[in-house]
Parts: sequence; C-alpha cells; structure tokens
Amino acid sequence: MDGLIILDGSGRPIIQSNFRNHPPSYPLSIVDAFNDALSKTLPENRATRSVDSGDLDPVLYISSTASGPAICCHVEKGGLRFLCPASQDIDPLFIFAFLERFLSVLQEYLQDISLAVLKEHFDVVYQVLEEMLDDGKPLTTESNTLRDIVLPPSFFNKVLSVAGVSGLSNATPAPFSSPIPWRKAGVRHNKNEIYFDITEDLDAIMARNGTLLSSTIWGRIDCNSRLSGIPDLNLSFINSKAFSDPSFHACVRLQKFAQTSSLSFVPPDGNFVLMEYQVSPSAVTRGSTAMSNGGLQNQLLNFVPLILKSKIEVGEKGGSFTFTVTPRSGSEQLKHRLGVENVVLSLGLDSGAIGAFCTASFNSGGQGFGGSRDKEREERAAGVWAWEPNKKTLRWTIPSLGSPSASSTWTLKGTWTSTEQVPRPCRSIMMHFQTPHMLFSGIKVDQLRMTSEMYKPYKGVKIASKAAVEWRW
Amino acid sequence: MAFNNLAENAERLSRRIQESFQERTRDFTKSGQASYLDANDLDKTVNLSKLLDSTSEREKLDGLKRIIAMISKNRNVSAYFAQVIKNVASPNLEIRKLVYIFLLRYANVEPDLALLSINTFQKDLADSNPLIRAMALRVLSGIPVASIASIVAAAIRKCAADSSPYVRKSAALAIPKCYNLDTTHLPLLMQTLSTLLKDRSPLSIGSVAIAFNAICPDRLELLHPHYRRLCKMVADADEWGQVQLLELLTRYARKMLSRPPDVSAPEELDEANPGQASHEDHELDPDLELLLTSASPLLQSRNPAVVMAVSRTIYSLAPVKERRKFVLPLMRLLHSSKEVERVTLENLRVVAQASPEMLRPHISRLYIRSSDITQVKQVKMRILAALITPDNAQDLLREFKDYVVDTDDKLVSDAVWAIGQCALKAPDVSSSCLSALTMLIRSSNDVAVAAAVLALKSLHQCRTSLTGSLNVVASLASHFDNISHPEARACILWMVGQYARSSGQGTTPMPANLQAIEPWVPDILRKAVKSFKSDPSAVKLQALTLAAKVFVLAPSHEQSCMLARYAFSLARYDLDYDVRDRARFLSSLLAGVNGGVSSGLGSDEQEVDMQEGVILRTPQVIHVLFEGKVAPSDEGRWRSGVLDLGTASLITGVAMQDDYLRQLPDWPDEGTDSSLRDTQDDTPAPFYSQPSLKLQGFGAESIGNFSRPGSTLTTPVVLTPGDSSPSSSVPKPGLAKPHYMDLDKFFASDEEVASEDEEEVTEEELEAEPQTKSTNVATTVAPHPVSVASGGHTSTEGHDAPQPTRESDDEYTDEESDEEDAFLRRG
Repeated sequence: MDGLIILDGSGRPIIQSNFRNHPPSYPLSIVDAFNDALSKTLPENRATRSVDSGDLDPVLYISSTASGPAICCHVEKGGLRFLCPASQDIDPLFIFAFLERFLSVLQEYLQDISLAVLKEHFDVVYQVLEEMLDDGKPLTTESNTLRDIVLPPSFFNKVLSVAGVSGLSNATPAPFSSPIPWRKAGVRHNKNEIYFDITEDLDAIMARNGTLLSSTIWGRIDCNSRLSGIPDLNLSFINSKAFSDPSFHACVRLQKFAQTSSLSFVPPDGNFVLMEYQVSPSAVTRGSTAMSNGGLQNQLLNFVPLILKSKIEVGEKGGSFTFTVTPRSGSEQLKHRLGVENVVLSLGLDSGAIGAFCTASFNSGGQGFGGSRDKEREERAAGVWAWEPNKKTLRWTIPSLGSPSASSTWTLKGTWTSTEQVPRPCRSIMMHFQTPHMLFSGIKVDQLRMTSEMYKPYKGVKIASKAAVEWRW
Repeated sequence: MAFNNLAENAERLSRRIQESFQERTRDFTKSGQASYLDANDLDKTVNLSKLLDSTSEREKLDGLKRIIAMISKNRNVSAYFAQVIKNVASPNLEIRKLVYIFLLRYANVEPDLALLSINTFQKDLADSNPLIRAMALRVLSGIPVASIASIVAAAIRKCAADSSPYVRKSAALAIPKCYNLDTTHLPLLMQTLSTLLKDRSPLSIGSVAIAFNAICPDRLELLHPHYRRLCKMVADADEWGQVQLLELLTRYARKMLSRPPDVSAPEELDEANPGQASHEDHELDPDLELLLTSASPLLQSRNPAVVMAVSRTIYSLAPVKERRKFVLPLMRLLHSSKEVERVTLENLRVVAQASPEMLRPHISRLYIRSSDITQVKQVKMRILAALITPDNAQDLLREFKDYVVDTDDKLVSDAVWAIGQCALKAPDVSSSCLSALTMLIRSSNDVAVAAAVLALKSLHQCRTSLTGSLNVVASLASHFDNISHPEARACILWMVGQYARSSGQGTTPMPANLQAIEPWVPDILRKAVKSFKSDPSAVKLQALTLAAKVFVLAPSHEQSCMLARYAFSLARYDLDYDVRDRARFLSSLLAGVNGGVSSGLGSDEQEVDMQEGVILRTPQVIHVLFEGKVAPSDEGRWRSGVLDLGTASLITGVAMQDDYLRQLPDWPDEGTDSSLRDTQDDTPAPFYSQPSLKLQGFGAESIGNFSRPGSTLTTPVVLTPGDSSPSSSVPKPGLAKPHYMDLDKFFASDEEVASEDEEEVTEEELEAEPQTKSTNVATTVAPHPVSVASGGHTSTEGHDAPQPTRESDDEYTDEESDEEDAFLRRG
C-alpha cells in the first residue's frame, strides 16, 4: 500500500496520507485515473448499455503514474471515495481489509461518515490515519488501542480544547499499558452491560418453477461491551451444531470453541463483531434427522414465507407485468405466527425505461374489509410501489404481512414504457424481507458466565433475520 | 395592529438573542473547523504566524489545524516551516502530532530546517512514554534527508532493544525507510534486524517480517534458527503481521524444506495427476507440518487478508489431499463485501482451473445473480465453465440458459459460449445444447446471436460428428438475412463456404457441376454479393472467400461463377485495402480454375503478370482453400496462465513492479538439513512448554495472572531474568538461571546498566524529566538557527559515542512486555 486518499463526491481529494516514497504527482495521477474510470461508468457516458454505474471495477489498474504502473483499490462510503493505491504487488484483499478497518474506526470516532463530518474533524482523521498507516504499512488498527493515543472528538474534548487544555496528555497516562492488545486498560463503566445482536441472512435463488437452486445462510454476532475491568466471558448456545465454518474476533479462544462450541473471550471495550458463521443446512432440519437432499431443500424453502408468481410481457418500447404474492402455508414464519416485515420486491427494468405505472391490491381471501376505513387498511396492506428513475428500478414495498390466511393474495399490476425498441428488463425479481425475533438456524444464547470480575453483568440479546431471494422469471 | 407589531418585535428580539447565543456557543458546538477546509481564506494567513507564535496552546493548536487544512488543499505552506518546527517539543501531545504530520510532509522541501528538529527527536527517544519514543523514531526515520541516515540507523538500533514492543515495532518499520534513504547502512540494519528477529513479542514480529521482506528478501538462510519459533508465533501476531509472516514463512518453506510426498515435480505436474506421485514412501517434513498446523487455525480469522494468506500457504505448501480445507473459508469471504467478493472469486478461479474437484461440491454457491457486478459475473462464469463435468452439465446448462437473457452483454456472450463448452465436455447433453444454441439464433439480442453463431462454428469445427449433418450450417444460413452482427455474418459466410461441399459427394476430388455443392449455397453467395456494398470489411473478406470456394467447387455452375466474378470486381475497387488485397490474392490463386475469376473483366497488365507465375491446378486450390483449418482453442478467450493466489497481478492480469519478491520459488530438489533449524528454543522454555500452540486461545490459568494488572505491576521484583526477556540477544544455554532474581541482584544489575550507559534513565527519573527537557528545547531551538544546528551536531556525536557499549542494553528487562507476552501466549 502506498497511502490513502479520500475524495469528496465530486472527485476532489480532501484528505490524503503522506506519499513519502513517491513524487508529488503520484497521488494526483491516481485521483485523475480514478475519476476518469468513474466517469466512464456514468449513464451519460456509457458506451454500451451493459455497464451501469455500480460496475466500476473495485481494483483499477493504472498503467502510467509517476511511479510506474499501479493498482488502485477503492470503496465508497457516505458519498465519499476512499482510494488506496499500490505500486508494488500486494494482495488486494490486504488493502480492502485495511480500508474496512479504517472505515470502522472512523465510524467509531465520528459516529457518521460524511463530507461534513470529515471536514469538521479533519485533524482527528489525520491523526488516526497517521497512527493506522505508517509509510503504507498498517500500524495500530485496534480501536481500543487507538483511543488511547488519539482522542475521539467529543463535546467534552471540545470544551477542553476551547479552554486550552489538551485532553490527551493527562487523560491517558499510559498508552500501551494494557496487557491485551484489543482491550484498553482500566476500563470503568457505571452500568456493566453487554449486548449481543445476532443476525442471520438468507441468500437464495429460486428457479422459474419455484424450486430452490441455491441457498446459504450467513450469521453474525455483533457485540457491544460496556464492562469494567478485565471480564472473562463464556457464552454458550443452544443448537450450536448449526455453526459451520465460523470466523472469530481475535479475542475468542479457538481451542475452547473447538472443544465446547461455546465462546470464551475477554471482549474489547465498545462495539465489535464477535463472530461470523455459516449455517450448515443439515442443522436447521428441526427434529427430523435423516432427510434426503430433496427434503432438505424443502425445509429451506419453508424459510421463504411467500410464493411469488410473476408474468412479464415485453413488447415494443415497453411492457406489462403482474406480480402475485401468496403465503406459503408450511413456512416457519407463518406456522409460528412470526411477523414478516418490510417485504420489498424490486425489478430492474431496462436501461431505456422512462416510467412505470402500476396498481397494488390486496385480497385478504374471504375475511374481507368493508367500509371506508377498511378500504384505507386494505390500501395499506397492499403496499406501495415506487419507480426509481436513477436505478431504473421498480420497487414494491409491503410494510407488514400481518397474519395472512392461506388464500390471501397481494398483486401488483402495471406497465412500463421505454425508449428501447426491444426492452430487456432484469432476468430476476429480488425479494427482501425481514423476520425479527427469529433465527433460521434456531440458535439461541444459552447463558453468559463471567469469571475474573466480581460484579454481575447485564446481558442483552437481540435476534433478527433477513432474506434476499432472487426469483427468476 | 399593535399586537402584530409587538409580536414582530418579540420575534426579532428572540432571533437576535438566538444569534448571539449561537455566536457564543459556536466554539463548543461546531468550533468552526469545517471552514478550515472549505474557505478560500487567504486573508487569514495574516494572523496564522501570530497563532503559531502564540503562547496559548489553544491558539497554537488552531494555527496548526489551519496549516494542516492548507496542506490538504495543496497549498504551499513551507513559509511557516520554521514557526511550526518550533513547536516540535510542545508538551501538548496533540500539538506535537500535528507538527509531526507537517514535518513528514515538508521535510523534503526544507531539509536544512528539518534538521533543526532532530535534536528534539533524539531526546524524545529516551522519553518515558513509549508513545513518544515510537513517534520520535517514526518521524526521524521519515525525514527524507540522506545525511541523517547514520543517525536514523543508530536510533533504530537503540529502539530495537526497547522495552516496549510498540517501540520495537516502530523500529522494525523504520528499517526499510532507512534503507531507502541510504543503502550503505545495510550491515548495521541487518544486525539490528537479526536482533529483532529474536523478539519474542508477537506484537512486533509482523513488522520484523515486513522489514525482512524489504531489505533482504533473499537471505532466507538467516531464518534457520528462527523458523520454528516464528511458526509458533504466527497465531499470536497481529493480523497484518500474520499476513507478512505467513508470506515470509511460505517463501522459506518453498526454498528450504523438502517437497510434500504427494506433490510431484513441476515438469510432471503439467500432465500427470499430482496425486499419483512416486514419493509415497517418505513422510511430510515435520517443519513443514509445523507451519501448516500453526497456520490452519487462522482460517477462522475475521480478516480476509489473513484468510487469503493462509489459503495461499496451504495451496502452495500442503500435500494435495489436505488442500481442500481452505475452500470453505474462502467462500465465506464472498459474503463480506462486493470488493472482497470480486477479489476472492479471482483467486477461486485459479483454484477452479487448477483443481476443479475442490470447488465442485460448492458449485451452487457460485451461481450468478442478476445483481452481481459485471466483474463478478465474468469471474463466476469462468469458474462455472471450468467446473463443467458430465455429471453437472444438465444443471449448468439450465443455469447458462438463464444467463443468456441477462442485461449484461458480456455475460450473455460468455454464457452462450459456455453452453458450447457443455456440449463439448458432456456428450449426453450436447443435443439440448445444440437446440438451445439454434434457438438463440432467433433471439432479438444481437450479442446473443453473434455468440451463438460463434459457438456453433467452433462446435462444428471441433466435433463435426456432434452437429451431425449439415443442418446446423443450413439453418444458420437460412437466418443470414436476419443477422446484422458483423462477426456473426462473417462467421456464417465462412461456414457456408467451408462446408459447401455436398455431403452426398463426400471426398470426390473433382466436382464438376452444381451437385458438388449444397443447393442453397449459391443463394447465400447471392445474398452476400447483394449486401456486399453495405457490409463491413470483415464480412466482405468472408464473402470473397465464399465466392472463391464456390467458384472452385462448382466451376460449371454458370450463375455461381458470375456471382463470384461480380464479387471480385466489386472488391477490386473497394475502399479498404485489405479487401482489395484479398481479392487480388484469391484471384491469383484461382487463375488456373475455369479461366480465372477475373476473366471477362477486361484484360489488364495484372492478368498478364499472373500468366507468368505458378498456376495451381484445381485440387491444389481446393487444398489451399479448405484444408488445414485448425479448430479454435478457447484458451485465448480469457487470459489464462495460472497465477499465484493472493496477488494483485491475478486481478489486473498485468505483472506489477517487484512482483518477483512475492513469487514463490520452486521446491528444492532436496530440503535443507532440519538440524539447521534446531535451536535452544526447542528445549521447552518456561512459556512455551505447552505443545498445543496450534490453537489460539489463552488458557484460564494465564488469565488468572493478569486479571489484576495493577498488582503485578506494583511488584517490580518479579522480573524475569535477562535470558528470557524479549530483548535478550543470545540465549545462554549453559546458565540455568533462576526465573526470579532476588532483590539484591536486581539492584546490582540495575547499577551495572546505569554505569555502563549514562543515557539509560530509570523509569522514576523519567517521570520527572519532561518538564525540564521541554524548557531545554525551547531555549535551544529557534531564534538563532546557526547555533542550533551546531548544537544538534554535537548532540549527535554525544549520542553516537556510547553506542559500542550498548550491547549491555540487552540485559535490560521489562516486566510490562513480559507480562504481555505471556498473556498472548494462548497455549
């Protein structure tokens, strides 16, 4: 890595690290090359219709800079672009891992990453950057250690700095005094709390005939620790056999996990990702042990509480479509009366699409609403549709499924117009939905035990699951 | 009315109050810093000097922030250099840091002025705060002035023996900087590096690996005595260090250890299945096994770069049968972000092409989503195409058929090509592949049509038996009118010509009439000639070839010959010289057939010339025109050449500078003697006695020691002897020292150190130091640059003088770092 450059929304550098071993024109040529590549993907400059604005290669090759050929890895966040050029061979994953860490540290320091916030605290950004990246090598990247040497901006610090007192010289008497690299020394909290957020994502692809082509469930445990001292925790789970191929924060003792499937760790202070895992499909077949592969697929299918039937007809300069959504009777969510929320269906239309018009309707399947007030309710239940001209996407949102009967149907009917002679809409419809209070894997936190500190910590656990299902039509 | 007035007044008043309140609190709420970056505030440069010279820390800080903001805006602020540098010894850490940032950027602009600050940094190197020591070294080594290289080298050497692993880490990172500054200091730097290699703190070892890779990447033999310890330390190093260390150790293993038993030598690797090597008899090198078992747990790291580094290690070192285990962890990365996904897939592609069986079980996870970014779609397509077998061809064919309606044209053409690949690799599904391809010819998408024609062409060429009779060509030909894509049109014309010979006739050498060609061929020629004028050059060239072929196959068919002659006369006056040239070439070739293709066009001197050359007989012409067509290989479709995992050139397809440094050498014919790696360390050391280092996770007993850091810190007597201290240079095997010194000995040794080196100040003294020191600096720096420069010089000498005796520093121990080491050891 040679350094880091932060660009604002219009492609101008606002903050950049020191490029010590390179001529001053080097970062400039990187920025130019990046802006050039970016502008080529913008809709108005598009050479072919196939490339859209999201498709800038994350690793750009820049053949001529002041220091010879280079690669430029970049990520986007909060409307800003973070570029990391490298003129020597390096694993791009190394750069992306660093960028990710840098952004999460910034997030923690500034709460929000945006142009205004960065400009407001540019001195902090400079200091953090200086500590994290020394001549292109990652130096101190643990946020707990960083907070010892660069003070996060806070109202208190501002008062201090206005009063002409530096917080750093007296606030942290002994940087690097902690025996654990990821945890600050001498942490004190009035309330001792720790929160676990377990989220699972289902990624699935549905074939035209409604069978499951591919599905993966990813899980992640975010943790926010506000515990004093050096707490040594042990977190155990129910149904932990569902964890497959996990990855851990450096604080987790791998050996313990291998032996007992429980997490034993001394947490860093603050927010961190404790663990990420995949859910092994065999572990979610609740109860029934011996199942054929087909049965397994059906089981997974039951995590998708809705069935989508779509009919899309493409004509000259436009087309028409009908989406029909019905509940899947055997699905886990409906069986256990769990709320399914934020169902979003989106269809990318062709690049020449100008507009769409549709009507959304809901048929409760017999129970029926009557009267004007119920009409309102019915309209709400049918969801809202929107046309997003920038992304050329049609989006239909059903805020909540409520408790549908087997014959309930949601329908979206409409047409769209396009400048293309033969429009080519996206070949699949994306369906997103959330099920709070449920995990696909059936994993539950069993108990949290703490040794080495005297107090009793408060433990909070929140679970939620999301799904992104691609329906091909 | 009156009421209205009153209300208006009240409103105005309240706005006023609010404004003034905002004015007053602005400093608190916003402190107005954002404007530093925004405003075009050249007028403020006037008071900038005042701010920097101010005695108030707050104003200084404000001034420095403005300066940094101006640097950000690429303004030249070198005019303030002297004023900024003056603050380098400020007791306020924040001010110092901003000065450091400034200094590092401007030192090469004003090298002479930058030298003024060196004095301060040398003092800071002895500061009690490890943060200040490390920062001083970082800035010192960052000043790009070659004349101070010797000072920097000496400072690095001093810091390499520091008690804080953080400072030692900075020392390691400073080595490459110093080396870049002046390569003549290599011997000293190497010496420092070998001291650092002995470092037992996992915090600094990663940076040592960086330094090693930077200054002496080829001196792998230096690692012999450290190899085993480094392997065991990998799990405890910080994430970035793990990546560097794994890379170094992998290179070492490839150079020094013997090949795993089931990996055959490279020359066999190409054709033979690597699993069936002849080395079944001998075992996996235990040192290699050590590296692999130490690295494997890191597959569970949260850091994608570490996972990739371990994968690379396993992929390039492990026996074939054990390689599989990195596949799932790599797949896990696909979920993290689209950037990581894109890079990881490129690596999986290498795996897919080299050993497809490793990925086949997970194939459904590589199916292409319509929401993937273009680059991801392309790589996934390559992977899927590499994984086709007769078993999964059915499923993949169904997938590919879905992809041909994608909105991404590149994916469409790749998918069509892949359908052709299915037909080649899985004869069972070839008929459905063929029907899919012929369906595609009627598609409304040009790209799909062109790709389908090309796929059919290469299929037809590779396996004529597969496409059976001529009906593929015939059906393609029947769509000639509807196809507008130039490449597809050219391709159809070529195929019509190439397969024009009537199937009934087989290999009849001398066709004499229309029966020799398929009945529909002349019609295609007619169409080609008709649209000749408007077709692009690529189509024109193929039209000429078709004309020539028809001419030679059916010389007696009057209409065809006239069409051919017409085509040649059109081509003769074409705008494109390639077309004219081709026409001339073909008509020369055909000169001996049926009176030549140019006859009847009026004789010119060209025809006279031709009479003098060699004239081929018809069979010869047929041979020239039809034979020797090599079926196209699809290798060139995508740049291939299996590259190494985890490199940038894998993504860009272009070699980077200095990439040879990362390239792995081939296995040696014979590994080096393992006794080279035997060290005293192998005999169980107090902290390394537990063999279960391969799994990280520190035991409960070790945590017990450190749950009360205060209590351990306040018992200074519990010092480990110099032997096992992190900075001890040479382990002294003979002396079985006790683990704990008694108090008298401790003080005795302390005195020794103090007497040997005056600069070594005890911690307590240093606590009181900063105040006095800062005043010293304030008096020395600034008003008279000349005197300061000389002062700096003398101090440099003063610093250099005690150097030779500094070996004794190795006895210096520190409970803090030891404690930390022990804590990290997750045995």
